[in-house]
Amino acid sequence: MSTPFFELKNISKYFAKVIANKDVSLSVDRGEVLALLGENGAGKSTCMKILYGLYQADEGEIFKEGERISIRTPRDAMRYKISMIQQHFSLVSAHTVTENIILGNVKGKINWKEAENTIQQLAHRYGFNVDVRKKIQDLSVGEQQKVEILKSLYLDANLLIMDEPTAVLTPQEIDNLMEFVENYSRKGNAVIFITHKLKEVMHVANRIIVMRSGRIHGNVLKEATNEMELSRMMIEHSIEELDKGEDKREAGEVCLSVQGLTVVPRNEVPLLHDVDFDIHKGEIFGIAGVSGNGQQELCMTLCGAMKPTSGSILLNNEDITHLSIRKRITLGIGYVPSDRHRYGMVMDMNLSENMFLKASYSKEWNNNGIINRKKLAETTSRMLHKYDVKAPGPYALARELSGGNQQKVIVGREVEFCGDFIIFDQPTRGLDLGAINNVHSAILKEKKNNKAIMLVSTELSEIFALCDRVAVFYKGKIQGIFRTSELDSQKIGLLMAGYTHQEVV
Amino acid sequence: MMDKKTRDILITNFFAVVLGLILSGIMILFLKKNPFSVFGILFSSMFRDGYTIGEIFVKATPLIFTALAFAFTFKANLFNIGAQGQFYIGSITAVSVSLLIPSALAIPVAIVLSFLAGGLWGGFMGVSKAKFKANEFLISMMSTYVALNLMNYLLRTILMESKGEYPQTESLAKSTWLFKIVPHTRLHFGFILAILAAVTVWLILYRTTFGFRIRAVGQNQEAARMSGVNPEIIYIISFIISGGLAGLAGVTEVNGVQHMLLQGFNPSIGALGIGIAILANGNPIGIIFASILFGALHVGGTIMGQLSGVPSSIINLMEGFVMVFVIISYFVRRKWEMNRDKKLLMEGNV
Repeated sequence: MSTPFFELKNISKYFAKVIANKDVSLSVDRGEVLALLGENGAGKSTCMKILYGLYQADEGEIFKEGERISIRTPRDAMRYKISMIQQHFSLVSAHTVTENIILGNVKGKINWKEAENTIQQLAHRYGFNVDVRKKIQDLSVGEQQKVEILKSLYLDANLLIMDEPTAVLTPQEIDNLMEFVENYSRKGNAVIFITHKLKEVMHVANRIIVMRSGRIHGNVLKEATNEMELSRMMIEHSIEELDKGEDKREAGEVCLSVQGLTVVPRNEVPLLHDVDFDIHKGEIFGIAGVSGNGQQELCMTLCGAMKPTSGSILLNNEDITHLSIRKRITLGIGYVPSDRHRYGMVMDMNLSENMFLKASYSKEWNNNGIINRKKLAETTSRMLHKYDVKAPGPYALARELSGGNQQKVIVGREVEFCGDFIIFDQPTRGLDLGAINNVHSAILKEKKNNKAIMLVSTELSEIFALCDRVAVFYKGKIQGIFRTSELDSQKIGLLMAGYTHQEVV
Repeated sequence: MMDKKTRDILITNFFAVVLGLILSGIMILFLKKNPFSVFGILFSSMFRDGYTIGEIFVKATPLIFTALAFAFTFKANLFNIGAQGQFYIGSITAVSVSLLIPSALAIPVAIVLSFLAGGLWGGFMGVSKAKFKANEFLISMMSTYVALNLMNYLLRTILMESKGEYPQTESLAKSTWLFKIVPHTRLHFGFILAILAAVTVWLILYRTTFGFRIRAVGQNQEAARMSGVNPEIIYIISFIISGGLAGLAGVTEVNGVQHMLLQGFNPSIGALGIGIAILANGNPIGIIFASILFGALHVGGTIMGQLSGVPSSIINLMEGFVMVFVIISYFVRRKWEMNRDKKLLMEGNV
């Protein structure tokens, strides 16, 4: 057996209260694409951050071509020709592509012509269509990722680690990325591809390492496995079959009606443009689209955090366009935000306080302004049980919970204490499969309770699994509203990419 | 058995104080004095008689108020650096009320009006923060100088004593003095008022919906806004209450200690209040004890200055050292706790 290109031996890493990695040993060869597969929080990123020098392992060793090396900082990693593309890009948005790529590797007077030429040639060689003089802020997310990759290529990296690189890309961009990965590895370089998407793994990898709760739970060649086996390795439980309920043709009465909703910031392109739709009681209405096409603004406008430039919002035939967030909560609008750390929870408060967050103005748990802590704690405990939240109790800090359990708390809060209309903005983003099932069944249950539900999701499988109808958003506009049964992922993909209804059919 | 967290707090805080003493001891060495005998005088003089012990609580009283003032806005993630100015406004109000109503009635009126005046003064900062997104740190700091000069102006004009010699007011009528709670000391009712204020602040912050909203805004303004809370209103109200608390220190110092208002009145209680609030990690009950500690150091330091020939400013230095080490010890504790958790994980799973 030949010596592996890079090898990790018995790596363990402990964070306060959690084992991030335990006894992880893995290796990658030249010319190989290794997929690191696992649910969120399985320890994939931590393990790779150790290899890249962002974290220090508490136990274990790293080898390059059989020689023991020590990587204490990303700078060390770069010296061994390792490069990592983080999930969140590290680019200076006000700088040009060239400036970003040479940042950290220039001294003295910069020869711009030469640098630009080198980078442009590099881009051409890998078929990247990027203008090196453009500023990062003018590039799409997909192009920004190419810049990140170019940065690694510029440093002449032989091992490229990519952390969930497809999360932000359109299907077409994903294809391009996959092509690059194959191209790059064929030249004798190695790629480690961190992901939790089975389909991608089967597409791109030569070998697959499955991680579960910080440990390695499988190391297989692609030819020797299939998606079913991998999913079994990844999770301890199987994906539940969802019962969507009958596809109601005749809808219930209209709960939420949005008419001509437009949001235009001063001197800028519209964030929402003339958006019209109705959501009926007992219906799950999907909002599909690549993220950043107006979904966030739609949610913010509906819950009252953003003022529309024109248009109106009716809830149960009452005009709520100009009501405050607080009034809308009282009227029964629930909102599960996509960024739960920022908008959904107070991390340094305990769970019962987080439960109380939206109810601080209601009479439910307070007598003349004094919080009824006993009743609140009891309700919270009941909720934790009902929504299967793994937490020590109502007085545990929100921060101490895993992402999935935090989300269950928010979903529980919004579902239990809000009336007729609930917005779920990417409710399963970043969650493991167990938590996803949990959230999905909560959404379906609310549908049975005859609530009107708006589900914003970038995951097509989620849209198809749950929604009755779906509106596809592109640049703040609705491309069309369809029954999910009328669409397939091909069509919806084209709509998301900006093709109109006529072009698709 | 004592749990490990409490043990850590005791150990680290103990070492913080000891290290503070050692460093200031070295400073005393530079003055060619024996630090042991100087510190001996410091500690023995604090408890030498009932009057001195009473004095500790007298000094602690205004510190409790200014520390509470800082802590209250701190919970809303705001920085009220201007407790000193709000204290001056409270003092002006208290002395004016007491001069106008020379009877016991002046006391409740002064308490209410000083709170309101300090609150109004603080409220301006809240409004400018909420409405114009002004930096409350700068505004509250600069407003201190406005208040100081307003006080000096009044002390040289309408509030000036009838002889017109000194920039100070007439002495207050005895009936307007805060009554003593321990005979043969200067310890007055103001201390009880301070304790009540601390307990009330604690109750507001941790037991009421209003306090809950303040803390929610302080820890995650966006999440609070999404929950229907209007952070701007919270800013204004917190600053009003914060200013009011600092204003109350004016009553306790004017009606309880000086019995008049004069130039250069208690110039550092605002700054000390900030330090004490941080020392107590913003906890209102902790603030009581931290204030007493600083009151004791102050009283001991003053006497030490008189008896040992060491300048009493060494005590300010010591307070500073202790404070720095206490803040460091917070991080040391966190590190210890993390390592302990790590070790448990290693042992449990190897």
